[in-house]
Amino acid sequence: MASISSRRLRKELTEITTQGCPVGIKLLNADNFETWLFSIEVLGETLYQGEVFKLMFRFDSQYPISSPAVQFVVDNEFQAPIHPHVYSNGHICASILGNEWSPVLSVSAVCVTLQSMLASCKVKERPQGNDQYVRYAPDNPKKTRFHYDGKHHRV
Amino acid sequence: MSSRDPLWFCHECHTEMTPLMMPDPICANCQGSFVEKMEDPNDDPRQFQRPVHRAYEDEYPSGMDNFLHGLHGFLGIRQGPAGRGSSSAQRSSAASRSSGGAPARGGFRFELNGGPSAGQRAFILGGPNTLGRPSEQVNHNVLPMSEFLRPRDDLGQPHNGSDITGPLMAQYLMAMLGHGPSMRGPDPFGELFNLGSTEGGDGGGRWGDYVFNQEALDHIISQLMENSNSGRPVPATDEIIEKLPKELLEDKSPLLEKDCAVCKETFKLETEDPDDQVVVSLPCKHPFHQGCILPWLKSSGTCPVCRYALIAQPQYHGSAASPGPASGGSSNNRPQSPPSNNPSRSRSSGSRREGSIGSDLSNTVFGGGGSSPSRVDRNSRSNRRSSGPTSRSPPFFPGGWHE
Repeated sequence: MASISSRRLRKELTEITTQGCPVGIKLLNADNFETWLFSIEVLGETLYQGEVFKLMFRFDSQYPISSPAVQFVVDNEFQAPIHPHVYSNGHICASILGNEWSPVLSVSAVCVTLQSMLASCKVKERPQGNDQYVRYAPDNPKKTRFHYDGKHHRV
Repeated sequence: MSSRDPLWFCHECHTEMTPLMMPDPICANCQGSFVEKMEDPNDDPRQFQRPVHRAYEDEYPSGMDNFLHGLHGFLGIRQGPAGRGSSSAQRSSAASRSSGGAPARGGFRFELNGGPSAGQRAFILGGPNTLGRPSEQVNHNVLPMSEFLRPRDDLGQPHNGSDITGPLMAQYLMAMLGHGPSMRGPDPFGELFNLGSTEGGDGGGRWGDYVFNQEALDHIISQLMENSNSGRPVPATDEIIEKLPKELLEDKSPLLEKDCAVCKETFKLETEDPDDQVVVSLPCKHPFHQGCILPWLKSSGTCPVCRYALIAQPQYHGSAASPGPASGGSSNNRPQSPPSNNPSRSRSSGSRREGSIGSDLSNTVFGGGGSSPSRVDRNSRSNRRSSGPTSRSPPFFPGGWHE
């Protein structure tokens, strides 16, 4: 029997492919139930006008009980958005990806939330302590123990 | 503070801290990997300090003598309170060198003027326990000044006098500089002056409980916050789970038109697995497949849809200590009332097209949910909640971190 995780992901994928992604989000790759890639851009008048970012979702077998590991991809082609919640290695400090995750959320809900996080940005700047964090950051952002206080704004 | 995670001890910089996990624990202060969890009071890693230092007794750099003697007089250590008029050193409070072996309550404070980066730096040696360590541990403190200055002979007897010898002072300073004896720099005095520089040497302005600059103090404060409000969701107890109403789906059940919000499947009568016909309804009336909701409740005792708390959940800012069992929580920690009572604070998010994300949840996602007023609000430009818990349930973090 398929695990809850793959059943749920299959359902989400079906919805995405049949109904399309939310505006500004495109599915780039979902060949398996471990890693999905999306492109994301923020439409409208925002600080990120014209910029396209790449989002990576990594799921474990506990999804959706456990949150997906979500980060912006930083490679030759893509950069992480400059945002007070986004470290330059693409890690995102957002409470819904951590302690406020709920299994009701879905991949496209996370995409929309991150879009909204970018859209509401007032100042393009890196989080405090970016360099320090990036230097020692784990590969998987879920291993980071973000604390969502005044410095890392709650999303 | 009673139930916080045990602190770890870094053998490299002699700091007590909560380590960074990536995935192996490393010191939050110096990023060293030689760290040890302080769980067993009978095997306190801090005890290793003294032998280590004694081993290096004769290895302080040449040229230290003058410096140390100078510093010795500078500190006015033996001269009793109130120092010597011209010395800029002063005893900040009763630096009692108590005969019982307890660390001094007060501390030495001295100030250095005109370092390379200008300005004045105050150093406090010894002094009260600033990390809120439980009092029974204080006697095993990391080398308080007074303790350090009481060298013991081989029989373990304290020396009669309170001589501070050059080597002793060297050890103390080396330790204070955060380098450990094996890594000392060629110019200790230069090191001393560089402590506060923003380049943040290995010491990072911090040694043990003692800090030398604002940055290090901030660091400690944020560590304390992390420890005190570890806002991990509290799982529902088995007892709570057992009492939840279970329902076997029947013909014409009103549930048959609804979805389980966890797997997003509609409740159905004909299922491969008969367990999929068992529906659990939470007190907030949200229904789920038993197999979907139980794993969640075991990691977080809340409704996935509306976050109704089946068991007291930590408040943001961890309204102090640990969230107890529901019966013992403070009034703040009572399960919140079902969402229908919440004022409508949902924010329109136009592009959201997924109907199953109820507005209940979006309240929470965007910060409308039951958070307490902020206590720490250093930078509140755009955040609705200014502070919060740090992490969630065990599967998210590597071992050793949790109980």
